Amino acid sequence: MTAFVLLAGCGPSVNRYLLIDAKLRVHDLKGADAIVQQAEKEYGDKNRVLYGMDRGLTLQLAGDYQQSNDVLEQAEEELDRLYTRKIRTESLAFMTNDTALPFEGDPYEQVLINVLKAINYVSLGQWQEALVEARRIDHRLNVLSDRVQGKHAYRDDGLARYLSGILYESTGDVNNAFIAYRKAYETFEATRAWSLTAVPSQLREDLLRTAEALHFTQELAEYRQVFPDTTWESSQSLQQLAQVVVISYNGRAPRKEDQFLDLPISLNALQLVLLNRGMLQQNRQPNQAVDTVLYGLNGRVVRVALPRLVSQKTQAQGDRVSLIPDNGTPVSVQTELVHNVTALAEKALSERMAGITVKALARAATKFAMAEGVTRGAQQAAGKDAGPWVGLLVGLLTKGLAVVSEEADKRSWQTLPDEIHLARAWVPPGRYQVQTSAGGWSDPLNPEAMRTLFLEPGETVLLLQRVMP
Amino acid sequence: MIGRRRIGFVALALLSLAGCAQETRITRVDSGVVTDLSGRWNDTDSRIVAESMVKEALEYPWLNNFSSSKRRQPVVVVGTIQNSSHEHINVNTFVTDLERELTNSQKVTFVAGKGDREELRTERKEQAMYAREDTQKAPGKEIGADYMMKGTIATILDEADGTKAVFYQVDLQMVDLESNAKVWYGQKKIKKVVEKKRSIF
Repeated sequence: MTAFVLLAGCGPSVNRYLLIDAKLRVHDLKGADAIVQQAEKEYGDKNRVLYGMDRGLTLQLAGDYQQSNDVLEQAEEELDRLYTRKIRTESLAFMTNDTALPFEGDPYEQVLINVLKAINYVSLGQWQEALVEARRIDHRLNVLSDRVQGKHAYRDDGLARYLSGILYESTGDVNNAFIAYRKAYETFEATRAWSLTAVPSQLREDLLRTAEALHFTQELAEYRQVFPDTTWESSQSLQQLAQVVVISYNGRAPRKEDQFLDLPISLNALQLVLLNRGMLQQNRQPNQAVDTVLYGLNGRVVRVALPRLVSQKTQAQGDRVSLIPDNGTPVSVQTELVHNVTALAEKALSERMAGITVKALARAATKFAMAEGVTRGAQQAAGKDAGPWVGLLVGLLTKGLAVVSEEADKRSWQTLPDEIHLARAWVPPGRYQVQTSAGGWSDPLNPEAMRTLFLEPGETVLLLQRVMP
Repeated sequence: MIGRRRIGFVALALLSLAGCAQETRITRVDSGVVTDLSGRWNDTDSRIVAESMVKEALEYPWLNNFSSSKRRQPVVVVGTIQNSSHEHINVNTFVTDLERELTNSQKVTFVAGKGDREELRTERKEQAMYAREDTQKAPGKEIGADYMMKGTIATILDEADGTKAVFYQVDLQMVDLESNAKVWYGQKKIKKVVEKKRSIF
């Protein structure tokens, strides 16, 4: 019974994310961060990376960029350590479920650690440190593309490359900016079918502008041919202006849930599964305890748990941001989709699904064989008289344990948004009031203060906002 | 009875051993001891590079040429050391190492860098307002530097199958502040290979 209770407690708390969402809806960003902070022990040692990811984002939204970077750095270091796998842990996970493994996150989540850190450094005004993150992004993606085969796999990251380009250009390194923009463009194009993210129109302008600034006549001609309708301002004309970069986190990342496959290995068991499933459909509430007892008593049902992605699509299609100067004409910019987290999560899960299924089937078969062995052993040891009763009891326990311990790995970086949108605007230096259609700038300390910007010539300012749902 | 005693003894021994195991162990070591833990840029790299590069810089002819023509030691200031690497290197500690080596060489006069100068000027302004007149330090008496030492720390990374090769390249140059002529160019390279096991028990 203790084992049952312990195993039941292995699953991550779903309520945590519901509470965070509720806080984000009312723009209580400090409150959202406090929920993650208070749950640190609940995450446990296996989920140090997940805690760093979740907390890194809530701290960023709460405006504590330095601490956000500290926890994200710890998550990155932990990831580095997790390269070395422990055979003991792997064996335990094989005997129970994948939640016993340390959480590493999918490659797109790992890249987002560096993306978030870069944003934090820019928000702190530490541009050189932000460039370190741009270089780390480049290295991480290079290693990934070397490791991952397949043209249509996740091997590069459009947002990460695009943000790197913005960082390089904003610090005067136009050559590296052009290279990053080009890689971003190629990635957006190559992954368009599954990432559901078109090449941002702003990126086209960025490519043309930097190619022109570098006097790359051949590349400029090629891009002009590809984007015949795109017009752009020259780098020289933008030099005396200030740049505003708007990054908008819209909606909620998808969550994962269990998808149970109950495989009967006798006709009797098939009837039981069909009957149980029929009852479930009526109630629409899978009951682990009932399944455990029923399948444990029957002893001929093997349960396999696989993760299933539940999309939580945002309603926000793009945000209009207005910069209203003290004197002059207001500037209005529309943010564009640059990162579809749900699409990336679906791609990541589909790429891993074959491996997860094979492993889950092998685990279920092993568990069943072991439970069968233990039951028969107990029956023989109990003798002729007590054998049937002991067999029934031990069978219920061992096979029930095999059923109840089956759980899919449902962990993912759930404080992420569903989509990330971006906009760039160059405006004359001066004082501006910022207005957004979505409302609610992410500064809990003083939301009103974020609505006023003082821009110097050549300066780049980053504005972050969180839009729910 | 004897069996039970043995079991009890073994259990006690195991318990005492478990009690001895410490999660954190601290050992004091000499600051000169090389401690490569993660493969990242560390205090040893900073110190070794600063020592060897300043030594090299002061051995080149620009120093004697200046001293013989001007009949005084050159005045040097440390400018920006740009971090162009993949790591968040605390450049300030490297700058401090450079400043220490330059000062202790006794071959150049070393003046405070930009950050320190701001603080010193603020102090002088405050003295002018609040300190006794005979103890006030007048502005406009700073020594202007003849040369600026500046440079970059860059890295080249290569990684595959858990093995990472990190190549650090530190470039320093001594620039004549009057003519912008580069009188010395030094380079120090460090290469580290970090190997990670894929699995352990």
